[in-house]
Order: sequence, then C-alpha cells, then structure tokens
Amino acid sequence: MNATVLTSTEQQTRITGHQYPLTRVVTWELRRFLASRLFWFQALGFWGFLLLIIWALHASDQTGTVTGSEQLSAYVAGTSAGGLLRTLPTYLIILALLLPFITADGVTRDVNRRTHELLMTTALPTWAYVLGRYLASLIIGLGLALLLFASILGMGGLLHLTDPTYPLPQPDAVLLLWVGMVLSATILVSSVGFAMSTLWPRLSMLIKAVIMVGWLTGALVIPVSFRNTTPPPAWYVNWDPTSGITALGLLPAYQIGLNSSITNEAQLLQFILSVENKMPDLAGWFVPHLLLAGASLVLVLVAALAFKRSRETLS
Amino acid sequence: MMELTIEHLSKRYGQNWALRELSLRCEPGMLGLVGPNGAGKTTLMRMIATLLSPTEGTIRWNGQDIRTHGEALRQVLGYLPQDFGIYPEFTGRQFLRYLAAMKGLPTSLVNRRVDEVLSIANLEQVADRKLPTYSGGMKQRIGIAQALLNDPELLIVDEPTAGLDPAERVRFRTLLSSLTSNRIILLSTHIISDVEAVANRLMILQEGRVLTDTTPEALLAKTAGSVWGVTTDQTTALQLQASYQVSTMVNQMHGITLRIVSATRPHEAAVVIDPSLEEAYLLAVGRPAVRV
Repeated sequence: MNATVLTSTEQQTRITGHQYPLTRVVTWELRRFLASRLFWFQALGFWGFLLLIIWALHASDQTGTVTGSEQLSAYVAGTSAGGLLRTLPTYLIILALLLPFITADGVTRDVNRRTHELLMTTALPTWAYVLGRYLASLIIGLGLALLLFASILGMGGLLHLTDPTYPLPQPDAVLLLWVGMVLSATILVSSVGFAMSTLWPRLSMLIKAVIMVGWLTGALVIPVSFRNTTPPPAWYVNWDPTSGITALGLLPAYQIGLNSSITNEAQLLQFILSVENKMPDLAGWFVPHLLLAGASLVLVLVAALAFKRSRETLS
Repeated sequence: MMELTIEHLSKRYGQNWALRELSLRCEPGMLGLVGPNGAGKTTLMRMIATLLSPTEGTIRWNGQDIRTHGEALRQVLGYLPQDFGIYPEFTGRQFLRYLAAMKGLPTSLVNRRVDEVLSIANLEQVADRKLPTYSGGMKQRIGIAQALLNDPELLIVDEPTAGLDPAERVRFRTLLSSLTSNRIILLSTHIISDVEAVANRLMILQEGRVLTDTTPEALLAKTAGSVWGVTTDQTTALQLQASYQVSTMVNQMHGITLRIVSATRPHEAAVVIDPSLEEAYLLAVGRPAVRV
C-alpha cells in the first residue's frame, strides 16, 4: 500500500450530483450478470432444456381415422398455434420456476452478500437503485422469454427441414401467443417476485417458494380438474396468469372433427394443417393478461417508494 | 466548511440501549473510536453513515440534519464497513468502476480515479484478478480503495486493519495520516496502537456512553504513575495477575516480567514505567487484559 495523498483529481472527484443514475445501475447490473459464468451456464442449460422439450412435444396431440381397411393417423405439430396451446403452459412452467431466482433477489442479494452497506452509503438515489435492479433483472427475464420464442421458431424450422410434412411455425401466431402468454407472465412473475422480496427481504425464499408452488398449482393441478368435465368459467379463462386454463378455454376452436370425406393421409394432413394453424382468438384473454402484467408493474413502483435505505429494514 | 456535529444521540434496539446521549463535534482531523465489544462504536458509525436511524438526537453535516439531507452527506462520504461483501463476478478493477459509477463519479473520470485508488491500495498487480481469488488483506485493501473513490470529506473506517499483516497495517496507518489534512476521518478499532499512531483525538466508548473524549497525549499524561513494571517468579506473577490489571506478561530467563496497570504500587519490587496508550485505555475502561 502506498501512502499517496489524493491530489491529482481531488477537485474533480468531489461530486456534485448523479447523472443518469438509473442508466448506470441498469448498465452495471447487466454487466455483472453477463460477467457471471453461472449466469451463462444457467441460460445455456435453460436453452438446451427448452430445445429438448420442444422437440419432445413436437407431436402435441395424436389424431386418426379409419378409411376402408386403412388406418390413417397424424399429429398436431407442437409449434403450430393449436399445438402451442397444448405445450406453451408447460414451457411457461419452466420459465416461471427459473424467473424468481433471477429477479426476486435484485435487492436482497446485496443484503445477503453484505454489499448493501457499500451501496447505501453512496449518493445513489434510492429509486434508481431499486428500479435499476428491477429493470436489469426484467431485461434478463425477457431475454429468457425471447429465447423461448426463438427456440419455438428455430426447432419448428429444424423439424420441418428433417420432415417436410411437419408444418413450419407461423411467426405471427407464435408471436401473438408469446406476447399474450409468455411476455405477460414474464413481467408478472418478475415484478411480483421482485416487489415482494424487496418489501419483505427476510421472506425472500418463502416468496420464491410461494410463487413456484402457486404457478405449478395454477398451470398443472387446476387444469386437470377441468379436463373432460365442465369447461372452465370464462373469467378464469381470461384472467389465468399461468395460461393453463386460458389454453384449455381456447382449445375447442382447434378441435379436429374428422369426417368420412378423408380417404388418404395427404387429405388428413391438409385438414389438420388448416385447423392447427388458425390464428388464436384474442378476444377475452389477451388484454386481461397484459393488464395483470401492468398491475404487477405498479407493485414494483410501490416497492421502490416504500424501500428504506436503513439497514434496520433489511437486517 | 466541513463539520460533523452530533447532539444527544441515542440508539435503542428493543429494550437495550446501544448508544446513550452521545454528543460530538468534529472538524478536519482524525478521531479514533475505541471501546470494548458492544460499546456502540459500529452503531455510531452506521448512524453517521445514514445506515441506521437514531432513536433520539441529531447528526448534522455542515449544519444540515442528515435525516433530511442524507444525500448531501453521502455525496462526500467514504465508508469502509467492518464486514463487507464483494461481487464474485467482478475483478478488482471492475468492482471499483462499478462502485465509482454508483457513487456518481463522472464517466470521464472513473478510469483515472480507479487507477489512483488501486495505486494507493497497492493493488495494481492484482487489479484484473477476480475478487474471490483475493486474500483477506487484499479484500480489505479493495474496501479501503472503494471508500476513497469519491475523495471523501468524511471518511468512516470501521476496523480497517483487521486482516492486514503488520507491514500492511503500518502502511495503512501512514496512508490514513496523509489523508487527515482536508477531511474528517472516523476510525474505529480494537487495535490501540493504530489510534496511537494516527489519531489526534481519542474517544473511548463503553456500554453506549462516552467514557473519555481527549487526545492520546492527554490520556497518556493522565495515566502517568499508574503503570508498573515488575519481574518475579511464576507464583507471584499469577497472584498479581489475579489481583491487578496486567497488560503484558512475558516469560524470561530470570523470571516473568509483568506490566501492571494500578493506581497503587502492586508489589514492593514494582517500579513506575512509562504507560502505553493501550494501558491508558485499560485504566480508563477498567478491564483486566493479559498479553503473554
């Protein structure tokens, strides 16, 4: 250690105010994420798992008919609009289980790592600190959601290359379902996890567990009770954040009713293609899903306003 | 103007008072804060650093209450906590650039300033290594470097020499001394020799209250005649140790040499010797301590 007196930049270093504090926090938080090998490992693992599961679910539903003595069968492509209504809630479960670990600890991680005191004694405005941490983790979350979008299109294209009867995914239909179901869910889970953990940092792990259990219940358990029985109520179809019930409510439009006019496999494939690639009906559910995402943003604002720099709040 | 004023400051955790009725006025120079564990040193430092709210009393920076003008203080504050974390993803240089950005240093100045504090902390050679590879001493030095990034007017250092080897400790003390001319430095430590070497003012805290607020010289003068040296056999040494505050106990060829803090002559062979600041501290705090 040198006993050097700070003189060369003394006058300039004494700061008079923060410029673009939010941009600084977001930029540096993203740099920190990207500098982490663990983050890249997680992202690559997530991407690999997504590709695997999209490939595994590429035949989302089997259907068939008998014509004369010939048995015809075909499947609904997992990356078509109809197929995605069957598979997307599953992909969303994977995303929703991962997101709380990326977004919820934006602020509490500093407390756990004991970097909190270093940051809270800087002139960084509180709102910039909280919102910057949130935006950075949301950007990472949206990046993972985009990875899902790209994986659906990419794997669909790859499957089409290897099997010409496999239909190419329709980008517009995939995009609409992605925005209505994946984007909204990503914002919702990220925001709720972050806001709750910021408000109650000591309960961070419990909050993550509740989000995960809640999502699994909404996306897996509850839809089972509606299968092959009464249809789910319309309000639930419209407002289900996990999209499990929403997909159930939309699926009847993709019901494949085979008739006796189909006499060969080409006709069957053509018929299925015409049904599975229909644009999803956005009425009812699309706006409520975006509203849920918007409401969760308000929760983040509340957390930013309620956040106290004082260590007593966090310790 | 550079002035820190504390009036009737108290802090309570539940039913326990960590700090009671502390008043203090600081101008440029170094104040050494010493006291036993639980005396309230860290609580006081955290309150000044705006990390804790006082239960009672006020802290003013240049006349402004930091409860309402905390940002003005934080702009000129450098803080090295007793125990702080790092971002394992970053190298030392990245960590400092990150904190420089959080402190609001102009972008054009960040790289130069980071190079300066790396040089001051003698970390240039390891600046591009990831932080988890740093030793305890290096980590402490990166903490010191970050505290200096914004050239603070108020520098608060809580147990800064913990984890440093003796040579680094001496260099760090020299560094602190060189910084005192144009800023207020609050140094909390258990190592009395650190305070002796650098502080021009000494405050002893005990059980949340100010026991003494003086200069090291005045405290030493007050202790003169109360420190005794004696060389004796083992049995007598143990008896003396049980009856008096023994600051040092050294085994030697011809017996055991003790330094005893006592207002009265502890043994007929004991002679008055010059007190150290550590012994003055022991006399003030009134606690037995033995260094063998």
